[in-house]
Amino acid sequence: MTGLAADRRTFLKGLGLLGAATLVPGCATSTKSPGSGSAATGELSLQSNLSSEQAKAAMEKLVAAYNKTGGSQVKLNTVAAEIFRTQLPTYLTSANPPDVYTWYAGSVADSYAKKDLLLDVTSVWDSMGNYSKAMQTLSTSSAGQKIFVPTSYYWWGMFYRKSNFAKWGVTPPKTWDEFVAVCKKIQGKGIPPIGIGLGDTPWVASAWFDYLNIRINGAPFHRQLLAGEGDFTDPKVKAVFTKWREVLPYFDPKGKSFPFQEATSALLAGKTGMFLIGTFFADSAPKDALDDIDFFQFPIIDPAVPVAEEAPTDGYFASKKVKDPEGTKKFLAWLATPEAQNIYVQSSSGTAIPANPDGKSADTALVKKGKAMIEGAAEITQFFNRDSSDALQPTADAALTKFLDKPDQIDQILKDWQAAAQKVFKA
Amino acid sequence: MTATAVESRSRTGSGSASRSRRRGVSPLILAFVLVPFVIEAIWVFWPALQGFWLALTSWDGLSAPRFIGFGNFGDMVSDPIFRTALKNTAIWLVLFGGLSVIGGFGMALLLQRERRGVGIYRAALFTPVVFSLVVTALIWRVFYQPDGLVDTVFRTVGLGNFVRPWLADPDTALYAVIVPALWRQIGYVMVLYLAGLKAVDPALYEAAKVDGASAWQRTRYVTIPQLKGVNSVVLSVIVIDSLRSFDIVWSMTKGGPYHSSELLSTYMYSTAFQSTQLGYASALAVVIFVLALAVILGYLIRAFREES
Repeated sequence: MTGLAADRRTFLKGLGLLGAATLVPGCATSTKSPGSGSAATGELSLQSNLSSEQAKAAMEKLVAAYNKTGGSQVKLNTVAAEIFRTQLPTYLTSANPPDVYTWYAGSVADSYAKKDLLLDVTSVWDSMGNYSKAMQTLSTSSAGQKIFVPTSYYWWGMFYRKSNFAKWGVTPPKTWDEFVAVCKKIQGKGIPPIGIGLGDTPWVASAWFDYLNIRINGAPFHRQLLAGEGDFTDPKVKAVFTKWREVLPYFDPKGKSFPFQEATSALLAGKTGMFLIGTFFADSAPKDALDDIDFFQFPIIDPAVPVAEEAPTDGYFASKKVKDPEGTKKFLAWLATPEAQNIYVQSSSGTAIPANPDGKSADTALVKKGKAMIEGAAEITQFFNRDSSDALQPTADAALTKFLDKPDQIDQILKDWQAAAQKVFKA
Repeated sequence: MTATAVESRSRTGSGSASRSRRRGVSPLILAFVLVPFVIEAIWVFWPALQGFWLALTSWDGLSAPRFIGFGNFGDMVSDPIFRTALKNTAIWLVLFGGLSVIGGFGMALLLQRERRGVGIYRAALFTPVVFSLVVTALIWRVFYQPDGLVDTVFRTVGLGNFVRPWLADPDTALYAVIVPALWRQIGYVMVLYLAGLKAVDPALYEAAKVDGASAWQRTRYVTIPQLKGVNSVVLSVIVIDSLRSFDIVWSMTKGGPYHSSELLSTYMYSTAFQSTQLGYASALAVVIFVLALAVILGYLIRAFREES
C-alpha cells in the first residue's frame, strides 16, 4: 500500500518534471545572460546559407583554416537557403542570436542595420584599405556605419554556346538593335532565341526588369524606385516594358513551365539561343559544356545612360548582440583577407570573384571577361531583392510573369504592382 | 461529528463513491488532465490567441507590432489577391470535396463485392494515400511539364490543340493541381465508404430483393440511408482537408502563375514568410479559422437538428 503510494508520488513528480522540462526550450533563449555562453569557451557561431554541396564543402574548409589560426574557435552551422532566409529576422531578434551570418550587401543588409540589429564593423574596415569604393558604399549603412564585410561577387550576363553562335552565323550583339537582329536570325533557324526559367524560379524575370531599367533610366532611378521613393506607375517604368515587348516574341514559350536549372539544360542542349542569368547557373551545368560557354554584356539601349552592371556581392555581417565583439571582428577581418577568399573561391564552383582586389579569381577566360566587365562599369547594382528587399520580390514575381503572359494588360499590372509594393513599404 | 461518521464509514469500506466525493478527484487523474492541458495551452492556445492579437497589428517580424485595429481586414476587402484566393478556396472545396466524395463512393460500390483479385484494385487505389503530398506533387509535375506525359497523351489521341503549359497557364493551373489532390483523396474516401458498406446488414438487401427492388433502388433506398454515419465522417474529413490544403499547391505552383492558383492557405504563408507582413498574414489566418468554424458548426447544428 505504502509502496504503491510512494510509486504514485514518484510518478507524479516525474510527470511534473517532464512538464517543466518541456518548458525549458522556450525559456532557454531568454535565460542565458550575455557573456555566459560561448565567450567563455571562445567559440563563435557562423550561420551559413551556402547549402549546395560544393559551397558547403568550401565553407567547411574555410572554417577549418581559421580555427587553425588560434583565434576564437568558429562553429559552422549550415542551413538550407530558403529556411535561412525566412528565419534570419528571427535569428537576429532573438535574445541569444548566432554571431556571424552569410548574407548580401546593399539595401538588403541595411534594412537590418536600420533596426539596430547589426554589429558596427567600421574598425574591421580600417584593416581593409585596398577595397574598392563601390564595395565600401555597398557595405555602409544609411547611418554611415560599416555593417558588412564583402568576400565575393559574381556577375550577370547573356550566356550562350560559342559553337551554336558559330553554327547559326551570329556574333554577340552590343546594341539593342543588333540584339533584336540576332534574335531574328536565331528564330529563323527554328530555335527560340531567348531562354528563361520561371517555373519554380519566377525571380529570374527580375533580371530583365533590372537590366532594362538600368539601361533606359539609369542605376540611380532604379535604386530609388526599389527603395520606395518612386512609383511603378511612372511613365519611365512603363518605357521599360515597352522596350521589353519588342523582344517578347523571341522568348522560349516553354520557359514559363520550368525552373532556371532546366532553362540552363535547354541552353546547353541548343534548344534556346541565349540566357540572361548569373554565373551560379554553372553549378547545374556539366563541366565539359562550360568550356563552350561565353557571355555578352546586356545590350546598350541609350548610350547617354552611364553603363551599370548587376554584380551581386556576398559576404558576412554579425549580430549586434555578439558575445565576443573583439573575437567576431577578428574573424571578419580574416575573412576579408585574400588568403581566406582564395580558399573559398578555389574550393567552390569557381565562378565567384574575390571581393578583395588582391584575391585570386579562377584563371579562365570567362571569369577574366566577367571581372573586366564589372570593373569597367560606371555603376554596380545588386539584384532586385538585394537592392530592395526580400519582401518586395514576390510583388515583382507576380507583376513580371503576368506581363510576360499578358503584355496587353501592362497598365493594370503596373497599378497592381504599385499597390502591392505600397503594402510592403507600409508594413 | 461528521468527521467521525465519515471516518467510520470509510473504515468500514462502504464504497469508493463516497470516498471520492470526500477527497475530490484523484491527483493522478487531475495530473493526467492538467499537464497535457498546460502543454496544450502553451503550445496551441497561447499562439492561437497571439495570432488573433497579431491580426490587429502591422508587423514586419523585426520591429515591435503596431496596433492598427481592424485595418488588415479593411485592406482585405480591396485586395484582389485575397479575392482570388477566397474564390479558389471555394472552388477547391466544391471540386476537390465533391469529386472525392463521388469518386470515393463510386469506387467503394464498385469494389465492395468480394471477388478474386479485388484486393489488388483496392490496394492500387489506396496506394497514393501512402505517399507524401510533396512527393505526389513532384511526380505530377513531371507529368505536366512541356512534352511530358499529359501532353503526349493529348497528342496521341488527336487532341494536340489542348496542349498547353498546364501549371504555368493561369486558366489551368488550379485545376491541374486539383487532379493529383483528387488522385490521392479518392483512395482515402473509398476506404471510409468500404468500411461503411461492410457494416450494412445483408438482410436488408435480401428483404429489398424479395420486395422486387432493382439494383438502383437498392442503392438509393438501402445503401445510401445506411451510410449516414460514414457521410458525416467523410464530410468533416473533406472540409478540414480542403481548408488545410497547402502542400500540394505550394509544391506544384506556389500559388502562381501570378496568384492564379492561390488558396487562402498559400496566400497566408507567402504573405507571412515571403512578404514578411505578419500582421496581414495573421488576419488571413483568422479568416481561415472563421471559415472552417462556420462550415463545421453549420453542419453540426444541422445534424443535431435532424437528430432531435
